[in-house]
Amino acid sequence: MINRVLLVERDRLMLEKLTQVVQGTRGFELVARYQSISDALGQGAIFNPNLILLDIEKQNSVALIADFLKVYPKASILCMGEKWQAESASHIVKAGARGYIIKPFTGVELQEAVDTFAKMGSESGCETLVFFSPKGKSGKTTLIANLAVALARKTHEQVGIIDADLQFGDMAVFFNLAPKSTIVEAARDAKFLSPITLHSYYMPVTQNVSVLCGTETPNLSDKVSIRRLENIISMSRSLFRYLLIDVPPGFNPTSIAAAEKSNTTFLVSMINDAYEIDHTKRALEIFKDWEDYNERVKAIFTRVEPCNSQSQQNLANKLGYPVTAIIPNEYGIVSDAADNGKMASDIRPDSPLARSVDRLADEITGRGHRIRWEKS
Amino acid sequence: MPDIEKEIHGAVFTFFSTASAVGKTLLSCNMASELARQRKRVCLVDFDLQFGDVCNYLQLLPQRTLADVQQAMLMQGEACHVEEYLTPYEYGGVVFYVLAAPKKLEEAYNIQSDYAIRAIRQLQTKFDYVIVDTTSMFSVLNLALLDLSTIVTFLGIVDFIPTIKNMKIGSDTLNDLNYDKHKIRMVLNRSNAKTRIGIDDVEKLLGEPFYHILPNDFRAASQSIKEGIPLVLKTERTDLGEALRDLVARYTNQGYEESDEGMDEYVGESWLSRIFG
Repeated sequence: MINRVLLVERDRLMLEKLTQVVQGTRGFELVARYQSISDALGQGAIFNPNLILLDIEKQNSVALIADFLKVYPKASILCMGEKWQAESASHIVKAGARGYIIKPFTGVELQEAVDTFAKMGSESGCETLVFFSPKGKSGKTTLIANLAVALARKTHEQVGIIDADLQFGDMAVFFNLAPKSTIVEAARDAKFLSPITLHSYYMPVTQNVSVLCGTETPNLSDKVSIRRLENIISMSRSLFRYLLIDVPPGFNPTSIAAAEKSNTTFLVSMINDAYEIDHTKRALEIFKDWEDYNERVKAIFTRVEPCNSQSQQNLANKLGYPVTAIIPNEYGIVSDAADNGKMASDIRPDSPLARSVDRLADEITGRGHRIRWEKS
Repeated sequence: MPDIEKEIHGAVFTFFSTASAVGKTLLSCNMASELARQRKRVCLVDFDLQFGDVCNYLQLLPQRTLADVQQAMLMQGEACHVEEYLTPYEYGGVVFYVLAAPKKLEEAYNIQSDYAIRAIRQLQTKFDYVIVDTTSMFSVLNLALLDLSTIVTFLGIVDFIPTIKNMKIGSDTLNDLNYDKHKIRMVLNRSNAKTRIGIDDVEKLLGEPFYHILPNDFRAASQSIKEGIPLVLKTERTDLGEALRDLVARYTNQGYEESDEGMDEYVGESWLSRIFG
């Protein structure tokens, strides 16, 4: 489908610049362009555009979008601004625009913006899932990698992973990636990025899953400030339907900031016959500061044997809190997969591990049978 | 010339790793126990501040913790005596002391590394050996601790590639920090655990052989954790317990003493009264 573009830009020079970009981009046809909003609203419909590039800099963007939607109900609106701001971006999306692009842009960025926003709904539709563990070696990286693939397979939606386990993130190893860009570069450039340009920092893994890899060496973790990380998370929310975030173990500024931004925080611990349940309990106490922790915090145990509903109930009883999922011990498959950069669920799609991950994916997408927990 | 009484500063043995769940706590508890068994004055410090397991593994219920030390240092300054905040561990006549991690997570979160390091410095003046258990990351606290340590045991296991990657990153980073060659000792735990990765290959990757290799004995290890008795203090011998003793002997530059007579006798009081008396 050809994008029939109506370009609305007050600045004469910028209008010229963007005109050239649109005209030079394959699949885009500039059908009309205006400096004046009144002209655009009164005359543009004659040319039947299906994509409106709308300058919202220093304007009441919400009212403006409403005006354009009235005149062009079938067209997609991409707002243009000079700098990406999480807050205004979510406002314009709520007002009915498809997304936001920073001007000036290149033809490639324009193409990507249209593609991405066509695939993706809007920021408000993104589920941000943070995976927190009290101590290291919780099995959460395995879980996240396999869960992301399962979510994408089931929903055909875009799924993103941020490896914010800044010092020792393993996501690149799990997916066998040699990333050209990582969270360090994304953080460095965050100020100048919009969701569209941020997207290129993600490494594609499958058609619908991409990963923003962690730092290559621990000393680089200082380069990712909390503000930048929050910024990256906010931007990523408008790129994906599901955003899964791996964080360093324990409570630290990184894990706390990510959890605060989450719709759901999963508390993940590996059963090792030691003190994992105690640790999970203590961590849970901290999360109880959230008024909605009941809804928002979910416990997961990995390496549970036998992996059945009885064990799940026992763990819940010991924890004094519902256990949302249990993942079986499949060391062989998991290490095979990680050593070869494959997904455990791909190696053995029928394995108990793959089935557990599938069930969790169903639970997250709302397809699963909702378990109701009696108050004890 | 008048005699100047010199202050003796004991050795600091730190257990560090960049892969998690490799056995740091188990090793530090056993090293503390074995040194104490040899009549050394030993303090074990838990610097896994948030989710430390030292007191779990030893089944201690500390009254006071590092959080109280920091509080006291803030209030009293130099007048604070860290030794008043320790919890004794005692089994079969062997005694050592533990500086416990804070009880509350918010306390742990608010520990400042300056105060924690100052506590170690003070303990060095009272003990022959200060053994420190840590978390698996290059934090401000851990870096300061690595600096002041006499020996850093960089502990690893060989299970799957991500662990090896993190060990490699860790050993490279330690190299970059330019510590003396003899200060950092790479120890492999659970050497004969189920894996397809060869130890030789790992050594090649890390660029040096392991200083010491400990056998895998998951059962003995978890049993000792359940009972709260370190392997080296148990009467029944295990391969892992023996390998741990060997390690201590190598660290202290001496063959370990098979002091049968010492085991029966109560030995805690003598040097303790010197400290606390």
